Amino acid sequence: MKKTLTIVLVALLAFSAFAQGASEASKEGETITLEWWTWDTGMIEQNQSIIAAYEATHPNVKINNTVIATDGGAYKTQLSVLAQQKALPDVFMLSSGDIEEWASNGLVRNLDDLVASDPEIYDKFYESMFTSLKDVAKTDYLPGFPFAYVSCDLFYNKDAFDAAGLAYPDGTWTWDDFLAAAKALTIDKDGDGQIDQWGYYGYGRYAEAQAWVFSNGGVLTDNVKHTFEPNSGALDAIQFMSDLVNVYKVAPSPKDMSGISYKTIFPNQIAAMFVDGGWFSDDFRKNIGDKFRWGVTRVPVGPQGKAKVTYGWPDSYVISPFTKHAREAWEFTKYIAGEGIGLDQFMAGKMPAYKALVESDEFVDMTQQPYGDMQLFRDHASDTFVTSYTQGWSEWVGYGAAESMGLNGAVDSILNGEATLSEILPSLKLSIDKILARYY
Amino acid sequence: MAIKQKYRWHSRLTPWILILPTLIGLVVFRLIPIVSSLVLSFTKWNLITDPKFIGVKNYTELFSDPDFWKILGNTLKITAGYVVGGMVFGLLLALLVNNRIKGMNFFRAAIYMPVITSAVAVGIVWTRILGPKYGILDFLLGKLGITAPYWLQDPNLAIWTVTFVQVWKMSGYYMILFLAGLQAISKEVIEASVVDGATPAQRLFRVTIPMLSPTTFFVLTVAIMDAFKNFELIYAMTKGGPQNATNTLVYSVYLNAFSYNRVGYAEAIAWVLMLVVGILTVFNFYVKKYWAQPLE
Repeated sequence: MKKTLTIVLVALLAFSAFAQGASEASKEGETITLEWWTWDTGMIEQNQSIIAAYEATHPNVKINNTVIATDGGAYKTQLSVLAQQKALPDVFMLSSGDIEEWASNGLVRNLDDLVASDPEIYDKFYESMFTSLKDVAKTDYLPGFPFAYVSCDLFYNKDAFDAAGLAYPDGTWTWDDFLAAAKALTIDKDGDGQIDQWGYYGYGRYAEAQAWVFSNGGVLTDNVKHTFEPNSGALDAIQFMSDLVNVYKVAPSPKDMSGISYKTIFPNQIAAMFVDGGWFSDDFRKNIGDKFRWGVTRVPVGPQGKAKVTYGWPDSYVISPFTKHAREAWEFTKYIAGEGIGLDQFMAGKMPAYKALVESDEFVDMTQQPYGDMQLFRDHASDTFVTSYTQGWSEWVGYGAAESMGLNGAVDSILNGEATLSEILPSLKLSIDKILARYY
Repeated sequence: MAIKQKYRWHSRLTPWILILPTLIGLVVFRLIPIVSSLVLSFTKWNLITDPKFIGVKNYTELFSDPDFWKILGNTLKITAGYVVGGMVFGLLLALLVNNRIKGMNFFRAAIYMPVITSAVAVGIVWTRILGPKYGILDFLLGKLGITAPYWLQDPNLAIWTVTFVQVWKMSGYYMILFLAGLQAISKEVIEASVVDGATPAQRLFRVTIPMLSPTTFFVLTVAIMDAFKNFELIYAMTKGGPQNATNTLVYSVYLNAFSYNRVGYAEAIAWVLMLVVGILTVFNFYVKKYWAQPLE
């Protein structure tokens, strides 16, 4: 027994000496592993190609990509658990809706030193997007690396415009121009008293209602007092949306359109115009195909609005403040935001932050709809971007599973004719102020 | 003597060893999460930082929020509607399929199909059916000259519409339970009542239903617990709207935990939910002796 035990102990000692030597060998080779988390499940294969290409030119770096869908909050929940354990991936996607809270809790790395050491960064990437990210995060430092920008725009049915004898919107439209077109496009085709084609459809969803708010110089919150303080531009925009439904009758109410997905209303030609995220360009390419011709342009400017002010926000990568390989993470992040990716890895309607991609001939793809209208997304690069993001945004705006509540639910009630703006505003302000008070 | 002592030591430990895997599972996956949940309900926690103890603030905020009382009221309304509807329809369907007609198994399976269908899929399909402009139900009612209400958009009606869909989905399950109870009733008792001249209605209400009471008690208990687990249909059909009209305790737990990242507050709501379910279940067991009689 004693002899057996001795042999076992000696063997264990020998093995541990060997293992120690092995780890020393790996230190000398300095193979670094970076954990990279993303949420786009349609990009799993492309991510592996990107990784293979990067590792081929960086043999000392190994990348592990984890892709988790955002459905049901899975991505954010799992990332949040890692944040609490201070075990975040080295590089990860983070929504603009969350970056302020994460930055205020020290969960994003300050990238100013890395930017300062990279003098050519703004030659390659749009500086306006980096500035916008700092505005969204409300930091005086760069909290992440924007790799794309999204905007909210007006989609229109060119065939419907042709049938009505109307000129296409050209990006200079005012609300009056929009209303005139919506009236002409609202048609009862078979004379049965039911509208078959509406001029426009929209509801309280953030990407629709707030696009109108910001097109009219609207502001929703006071970022000093941290209260809900919609100015006249915002209130007039919500009233305008309500008037489209209840006064001018060029748009159906949200309750009349319930039962069908809002994403299918424009492709099914139920409405001739639609405002939402520019990323719907990708969706419409697939779902409309050649069924009818469509275009995309700027949201019409309201009476109190200014030209080239766009509701939009960046998609960003964040580097973990706990990473042991900040420089390597930075180099990889620049790669996956820039030269390592192609336009096929972007949804149509999202603007890459990498200038070379936006300025390439392929960006305005004349073989696919919306053809030349893709120039809009190039033009957006020089716009002033505005958002309503604050901490607690999902709750007070009414986002995702909460879309029947908050500002979204309130706007829907107004559009449905269940309450007027002046009736709903006091209780809305109370509830939103209560939410914001929890964070500020 | 030494062999006897060794056997006694072995016999005391053996049962514990055999149930140890189950015990570990119960502790790790039930007891620890339940206790953690209670502890977390006294904290402010956004998942990304450490929980911060705040005493009973979550509960005081909850009970002073007018929306909470509306949500609690919605929960109790859905529970009442679901339990009554599920039990009545379950029993009716069980009485209908409790026949030895050829092909009856097909009908039993068809009625049971919604039970095993994804709740989200059921919610999406019913939302389409109930759509005001393009839904088939409103189309058919329109052909009959009837103007349909806004089934899911009217705050006073939406809650009952969601309850109806939930009853439609789960009636097949209660049908199976009642069917088992019906088939356990002695045929001789039924035949004796026929001989005594009881009408079908008298047989149903004076013989069958009383003898079904143990099953009814079981179905009632299960239905009460099921009624509170109504998340998927609400998520698929109304997202708690319009204007909180279909928001329930379970949905509110989800919103606060996963949409708003207010985990501590969500746990407080979950514990209130548990207390409500617990009170109803205990009450049910207490009154059982007055109406649920075991079969002789």
